[in-house]
Amino acid sequence: MSTTDQRDSRTVLTGIVGDSLQPIARNIPTDEPPELPPNAELRVIGKPVNRVDAIPKVTGKARYTYDVQLPGMLYGRIVSSTVPHARIKSIDTSAAEAYPGVKAVHILDRILSIAQLRDASAEANERYPLVRYNGQPIAAVAATSMRAAKAAAKLVRIEYERLPHVTNLEAAMRDDAPVVFPGPVEQAATAGGGGAPPGLPQKGNLRGPARGGLGGGGRGDVQQGFAQADHVLSREYRTQVQTHTPMETHGLVADWRDDELTLYASTQFTLSVRDEAAQLFQLPKEKVRVISEFTGGGFGAKFGIGNYGALAIHLSRKARAPVRVVLDRREEHASVGNRPSSLQRVKLGAKSDGTVTALQVESFGTGGVAAGAGVGFCHTAMYPFPNVSTEHYDVFIDAGPSAAFRAPGQVQGIFALEQVLDEMAHELGMDPLALREKIDTNDVDDARARKVERRIGAERAGWSRRRPPAADSGPVKRGIGVAQSQWAYIVHGTMTCEVRIRGDGSVIALTSAQDIGTGTRTVMAQTVAEELGLRAEDVDTRIGDSRYPAGPASGGSRVTSSITPAARNATYLAARDLAARVAPSLGAKPDEILFQDGRVFARGRPDRGMTFVEACKKASFDEIVQRADRREDYDGYRAKLGDLHISRHGIGGVQFAEVAVDTETGVVKVERIVAVHDCGRPINPKLIESQIYGGVIQGVSYALYEERHLDPGTGLQLNANIDQYKIVGSREVPKIEVHVIEQLGRQSSTDARGVAEPANVATAAAVANAFFNATGKRIRTLPMNPANVLAALRADGGRS
Amino acid sequence: MMELSLTVNGRPFAVHVDPATTLVEVLRDELGLTGTKIGCDRGACSACTVWLDGEVVASCMTFALDARGKQITTIEGLAKDEQLHPVQQAFVDHDALQCGFCTPGMVMSCAHLVERNPACTLDDVRGAVSGHLCRCGAYPNIFKATLAAAAAMRQRKSGGGT
Amino acid sequence: MSTLQWIDAKSVDEAVALLSADAHGTIAKAGGMDLLDLIKEGIVAPTRIVNLQHIDALRGVQFAQATGLRLGALTTLAEIAGNSSIRERYPALAEAAAHAATPQIRNAATIGGNLLQRPRCWYFRNELFHAARQEVGREQAQYGAIFDNSKTTMVHASTPATALLAYGASVHVAGKSGKARAIALSDFLLPPDFNRPRDTALANDEVLTHVSLPAIGANTRAAYHKQTERDSYDWPICDVAVVLTLANGKVEAAKIVAGAVAPVPRRLTASEKALVGREIDESVAAEAARAAVRGATPTEKNSYKVPILETVIRRTILAAMA
Ligand SMILES: Cc1cc2nc3c(=O)[nH]c(=O)nc-3n(C[C@H](O)[C@H](O)[C@H](O)COP(=O)(O)OP(=O)(O)OC[C@H]3O[C@@H](n4cnc5c(N)ncnc54)[C@H](O)[C@@H]3O)c2cc1C
Ligand code: FES
Ligand code: FES
Repeated sequence: MSTTDQRDSRTVLTGIVGDSLQPIARNIPTDEPPELPPNAELRVIGKPVNRVDAIPKVTGKARYTYDVQLPGMLYGRIVSSTVPHARIKSIDTSAAEAYPGVKAVHILDRILSIAQLRDASAEANERYPLVRYNGQPIAAVAATSMRAAKAAAKLVRIEYERLPHVTNLEAAMRDDAPVVFPGPVEQAATAGGGGAPPGLPQKGNLRGPARGGLGGGGRGDVQQGFAQADHVLSREYRTQVQTHTPMETHGLVADWRDDELTLYASTQFTLSVRDEAAQLFQLPKEKVRVISEFTGGGFGAKFGIGNYGALAIHLSRKARAPVRVVLDRREEHASVGNRPSSLQRVKLGAKSDGTVTALQVESFGTGGVAAGAGVGFCHTAMYPFPNVSTEHYDVFIDAGPSAAFRAPGQVQGIFALEQVLDEMAHELGMDPLALREKIDTNDVDDARARKVERRIGAERAGWSRRRPPAADSGPVKRGIGVAQSQWAYIVHGTMTCEVRIRGDGSVIALTSAQDIGTGTRTVMAQTVAEELGLRAEDVDTRIGDSRYPAGPASGGSRVTSSITPAARNATYLAARDLAARVAPSLGAKPDEILFQDGRVFARGRPDRGMTFVEACKKASFDEIVQRADRREDYDGYRAKLGDLHISRHGIGGVQFAEVAVDTETGVVKVERIVAVHDCGRPINPKLIESQIYGGVIQGVSYALYEERHLDPGTGLQLNANIDQYKIVGSREVPKIEVHVIEQLGRQSSTDARGVAEPANVATAAAVANAFFNATGKRIRTLPMNPANVLAALRADGGRS
Repeated sequence: MMELSLTVNGRPFAVHVDPATTLVEVLRDELGLTGTKIGCDRGACSACTVWLDGEVVASCMTFALDARGKQITTIEGLAKDEQLHPVQQAFVDHDALQCGFCTPGMVMSCAHLVERNPACTLDDVRGAVSGHLCRCGAYPNIFKATLAAAAAMRQRKSGGGT
Repeated sequence: MSTLQWIDAKSVDEAVALLSADAHGTIAKAGGMDLLDLIKEGIVAPTRIVNLQHIDALRGVQFAQATGLRLGALTTLAEIAGNSSIRERYPALAEAAAHAATPQIRNAATIGGNLLQRPRCWYFRNELFHAARQEVGREQAQYGAIFDNSKTTMVHASTPATALLAYGASVHVAGKSGKARAIALSDFLLPPDFNRPRDTALANDEVLTHVSLPAIGANTRAAYHKQTERDSYDWPICDVAVVLTLANGKVEAAKIVAGAVAPVPRRLTASEKALVGREIDESVAAEAARAAVRGATPTEKNSYKVPILETVIRRTILAAMA
């Protein structure tokens, strides 16, 4: 291991490439490589390299958890509750057990992923966990075929004692509402974020207030702030529950052996699967191996083992055979996560010149039976408003638990914040961009980036041709709007990369991290290749195995920011080692040895070099192995929440939306999005563009279509499928123009930061602001479907 | 249970199935061809798209028995002798995928389109994948890739030296 | 273990015989799209499937100027959408077929099965509610009926039916001992009901053999529009088919039908009346559209559909004239 605490002070250039770069002194660990120049001077990093694992994906060879077939493998099928709130009186599994082909049946004695009672004794005498939502897993059956497992699962008889239930936010807030939990609850964070601040008061279904998110907290005195304001706006915004709907549903294959438990997991974090399984089944971590070759999307919901995973392990242990549990689409929608709803009451005070004097937010949100339905940290973190107060309440209802979802909380918070700022700009007769220019002045990288992004975006989007609201006379009205994005720049606390150079010239890089579609293998391969003068495809990347050196979670936009510096540091050490071995044969000193374009040579003498493979062979060694950690950011962090290390600096972007609103049918079409983003040093523009496309498209989908519908009578999700849980399809995809700036923050050896989440944060607000520009009416309720749009157009004026 | 013979990617297979079995179940569970995915199992996401006598169908909504006597082409049968189909290559080059789970189905629909209509337009591509869901949002690159593959096919056809 | 039997019927008679031998457990299958969905949802559990796909008599599209169009029951939606005679003569039908479902589904879904499919109501398509055998979620009927909805808010799911009705289509069925009958589509479609095995006048032991459409006059104009939230594919908020016969620039006869707004597609006679004898312009079309929505009885959740329907009627009338 190559950790030294020695640092030297180096002068490096920091800033935005093409805008301005200034020298700055940084204390950098001595054994870390010299700082990288801007991307223009690099060969692999910063280049649109093809995804290194694209071929298995386009040929169907990529093996997802759902594709794992092991000898003797059984198929698991879950038995879920059919009522929203009940005490289980009895469970009769005898008929299921007797069904041909059934090898094991297991009843859950504990429900994961939901809020837990602070005082567990309140329900300690219950025979079975209480049912708190329709679709809550209760038991599972393992059989030799899926058909048999399904048939047997239907034979499990459950007798319920129904308890009163509530499935609607407003109803749950009433004093006389049925209570979901008999006492206060807590929700621990998953590695993907989520979780709720501990120890908050709880009354009925209301838990809170929580004041300020993610290290934020209010400041100043809002009353005083409002007193200083010339204009005060009070507005109410509502957002709906959105489900993650990854194309590969949650699933786990468990193979319980006496000496080891092997888990094939569709996951965003292999190590969270290992750790939760080890904890739940009281196994040493080394006895649990987690493999995740490919994961078919996650978006925040795939952490830990979940109830389905616990069931798979139990069944495998009982049946002494591997068991695969993969959820069907209905179970996926109902039981493994969603983005909580929100009801946000926002009050904003400003002076006539645009100076914001106070922001007050009171919010409610429901994550069903999970806590942590907050509205993000933008209120305190994004703008230096002098007086800010936020109070958030979680509202429990009898519905499936929420989970982290691409920029959890922040998406809801920004929808309201960036819209109320737009409302204020209109009120003040100010250009919305000019207002941002005035207030977006924090001394942090994301604010500096947005300043440049506003300029670039305004130009590309043609902001100057923006017309006054409701300028079109026909029924179809067009408009343009802007909103700003912010997300935390996060680094995973424990991250190690191992690089091996073999005597035959092959190069291997390893990390336990997985790939959920963001390109983990590719960015790692690029980083290693850059340092060794190779091509990305020359590097054999091995990921998705808990036996490899610890890698990050694919959540919080931290994969690239965590992996690439460790990969570079390890490769640098390996390269120096190799250089020392090669130098004599080139008649040079080790520190004169360069690796470039597949060749190894001494500085100034490229003609006398040899190929990388020749060099390795000539140096005749068996294997060079180097490991290096992702060191802490050179300037440290603002907060460390477990492995979640959060920088003082953020990441973000600015998005411009053009919409067409058919005011007669209420159909909104997003025609174009200009998305200008920063992510530190862009490692792979092609993959970044893909991420931004994805974020924007999910943002449009959230803005216009998606909504979970629950039946009030039974708490059942009515549209738990793909045709009626409406998501953007091919014809709803706007023209998306992406521009990424190159910002060198000089906090790590690669300067890489994330982009997946900020790409999703601003879209709904930008669309809403464009809607106002198009129609002269505000839409403060999501989704902007015909029902909500026609209601908004009928409402009088732009004010509420 | 019924005896059933199917021709998949040009090769004959005999399987024993319950008549309620869908084509995708046979492909994945009986023949081990797991490239074809299930996203919804209800005809609503097209992840399970295969060709039946050259036409796209949702294999999750197709009784296996209805595939008797027909040529079934799956994603595993698209590349010929390790040579990627132009649409597959274009998907790689244009990063028309992220998690990759919708990809086999998308490729089958886009390959069908460009083979039928090498002169296809953006609207045609949108139409061809209008029944598909890509939750990762790879659409813009799927469009670009398919149009690029179509252009490559046109060139190949008109080409032959000129 | 469930043992499902599968029989490939070779003729209509054989299919009818198989169906009548066991009215409860036996079910016919065409494309299988709806049948599989209902089986997967646990709503039907047949013991025997009679596969109609090998009956040649149920295939084929025939068009003759004088007699009109005949669609064999097994004609797929893709065939209808792509057929040049239909595109030319019955454009509203071609459009309706082209806008139903997804390319994959259209390749397999048959017109017979399409007319016989069960509703897509959230409650109907769920085993839990189906067991209760009644409609429970009226107040949730966001996509449900805004007319004739006192008994049910469920709407018939077939969108091609809207166009077929506007063309005055009939359904032809064959029953026991060769008994064939023709039924006007307007009489064939019945309000969806949890308690019936189907929402049509088809008897248990009958096979739908073909659909016929009367000949089309030279001065006919037609249009179809399916209004959805999404364009990619979606169930309708409403769909409207307009078939106009013109004489000297004036409307001589009009047939306007709207789907997804009532338990069965609704003939908009008030709109038709408002057009007959008049030359169509914006205001005439608007007047006709307004006439259609008078008397709507929406629920709280679906009142938004009323102005949309009005808009779509007006636009579709104008599109027919364009
Ligand atoms: C994602 C999706 C979107 C869709 N969107 C639309 C849409 O927009 N508009 C629309 O109209 N539909 C839509 N559908 C429904 C689809 O069009 C129907 O399921 C399909 O048309 C049914 O035809 P089929 O041949 O597969 O019928 P089958 O499933 O084979 O049969 C349906 C029923 O009819 C009976 N039957 C079939 N043929 C005969 C016959 N000749 N004689 C006697 N009985 C018979 C069967 O017993 C069965 O009960 C959609 C479906 C999906 C999955
Ligand atoms: S899995 Fe077949 S269409 Fe979704
Ligand atoms: S690439 Fe993930 S769903 Fe399409």
